[in-house]
Amino acid sequence: MKESKITLFIFLAPTLFFVLVFIAYPIVYSAYLSLSEFNYASDPSPRFIGFKGYIDTILHDSMFHTALINQFKFAIPYFIITFLGSLILAILINELKHGASLFQVIFYLPMIIPLSLVGITFAWLLFPDVGIFNHILRRLGVENWNIDWYGDPKTALNSLVVARSWKMIGFTLIILLSGLQGLPKDIREAAKVDGANFFQEIWHIVLPNLKPYLYISGIWILINAMKTFELIAVVTQGGPGMATLTLYYYSWKLAFERLDMGRASQVAYITAGLIILLSWGLNRLFKTEIASRA
Amino acid sequence: MKKHTRISIFMRKHRIWILIIMTVIATFYFFPILWMFITSIRPTEDIYKFPPTIIPGALTLDNYIYVITKMRGFGRYFLNSVVVTSSTVLIVVVSSAMGGYAFGMRRFKGQNLLFMAIISVLTIPYIMYLIPIYIMEDKLGLRNTWWGLILPYVALNLPWGLLIMRGAFSTIPLDIRDAAVIDGCGEFQMWFKVLLPIVKPAIAATTIITFVFAWQEYLFASTLMTRNEWQTLPVGVVWIRDELQTLVYGRIGAMVILSIIPVFILFVVFRRFFIEGLREGMIK
Repeated sequence: MKESKITLFIFLAPTLFFVLVFIAYPIVYSAYLSLSEFNYASDPSPRFIGFKGYIDTILHDSMFHTALINQFKFAIPYFIITFLGSLILAILINELKHGASLFQVIFYLPMIIPLSLVGITFAWLLFPDVGIFNHILRRLGVENWNIDWYGDPKTALNSLVVARSWKMIGFTLIILLSGLQGLPKDIREAAKVDGANFFQEIWHIVLPNLKPYLYISGIWILINAMKTFELIAVVTQGGPGMATLTLYYYSWKLAFERLDMGRASQVAYITAGLIILLSWGLNRLFKTEIASRA
Repeated sequence: MKKHTRISIFMRKHRIWILIIMTVIATFYFFPILWMFITSIRPTEDIYKFPPTIIPGALTLDNYIYVITKMRGFGRYFLNSVVVTSSTVLIVVVSSAMGGYAFGMRRFKGQNLLFMAIISVLTIPYIMYLIPIYIMEDKLGLRNTWWGLILPYVALNLPWGLLIMRGAFSTIPLDIRDAAVIDGCGEFQMWFKVLLPIVKPAIAATTIITFVFAWQEYLFASTLMTRNEWQTLPVGVVWIRDELQTLVYGRIGAMVILSIIPVFILFVVFRRFFIEGLREGMIK
């Protein structure tokens, strides 16, 4: 077939339009903003200051420091819960002959619920006094148990982790289940014939073969862990105090409450940099693991 | 044969335990949604009884009736969500079916590089787009309009669509295309009449995934739609909660349940395409 350049361009035109106007241009412009001073309310246009803004943010902005620490306090338990949770669920579901699809529907269901409504739902579950979770704890024998989960700085961030993991587990479950179902049946049966018990079989046979899928799940959880916004905006607004102020939410606050677009872009770019750095680290971790086994 | 029976007895002994464990976990997992539903069908005085009761006594549809007939705002959010989401889906499906063909069946310079660049969009914090888009829309007067949300939503969802569509188009043998062209079809006619019917499952997957993502988007909607009458459900319901404060969780529950019904129906009907599409997108 004769391939004409004109038709190719027409087929690509809608994609190019949206990518150029709403993706490429914003990335370049916010990079420029991050090297500028620009208060959207008072400045007529951004003033270029180079890397001065970055240095100032990293060295002197104490709210940025708090947000950075909170980000990791959120990301680490979130990563562990989501990763192990979906791995255990995937292994168990894969063992089932009956009802596997019903269980899958239940774990996939949170994927379709908007995060802001997940936030409202969990805030209600964990409500002080009349909230059902505190009530159940009291019934289980912890007298006068009445924690304001999202109002207490000690528990607020971890309570957000639970809600966020609840929604995310379905996604990584899809990845891990498709990995498990792709494993050749005979390698597992061979292990059983050799007398390995269930846990030995999982540890020595299943997990090493699942490595590429574990890596992909890890990357998705990581990206998600660094992009936390909705739950915080809906449930805690960064509070109590600054207990749940994370990088993403701080960047948003800077941009749309203080209209400080320069600093907001700096925080956004630092967050993106962290995502790249951590993904690279995860990649190295899995690569060396694979190499040392070979 | 002998080996086989031994394995199945071994497995059967464990399966019953796994089934029990899974049932317990699944019950806990489902509980938040169930609890929101139970709250939504109880009278207000029962919801705020102390200590709370788990098994509902009196049941009522008052909360739903109130939300549907008395809350004008809720209807407006629902309309905004339907318009924005379905327009986004339509544009994403058409654009990605066109682009997917170009990436999957045509060859051109820089093809893979361009594709990878588009896909990497998914990993970048969306706030990096949001700040310039906010400034741009503010200057163009697009904030607080339907288009103001539809256009960025298309851009953010297009990479998934392209990923799925390219995958589908690249499995079509080139012979089919050439045969159609020899029969006298132009390239567009061939794309529309011959190729699109073949990639129907990919179109279904793109439709459902885009619908689910656009329906639940919060960051752009809450930032760009500052006027209440333009807000979509995920933002509007939160706005109502903040206005009403805590006293009416029954109505909030009803709003949450009503907000997820459309997307829940789609999920139940097209589950297979949704899961397939996500798997395709996430693993590649």
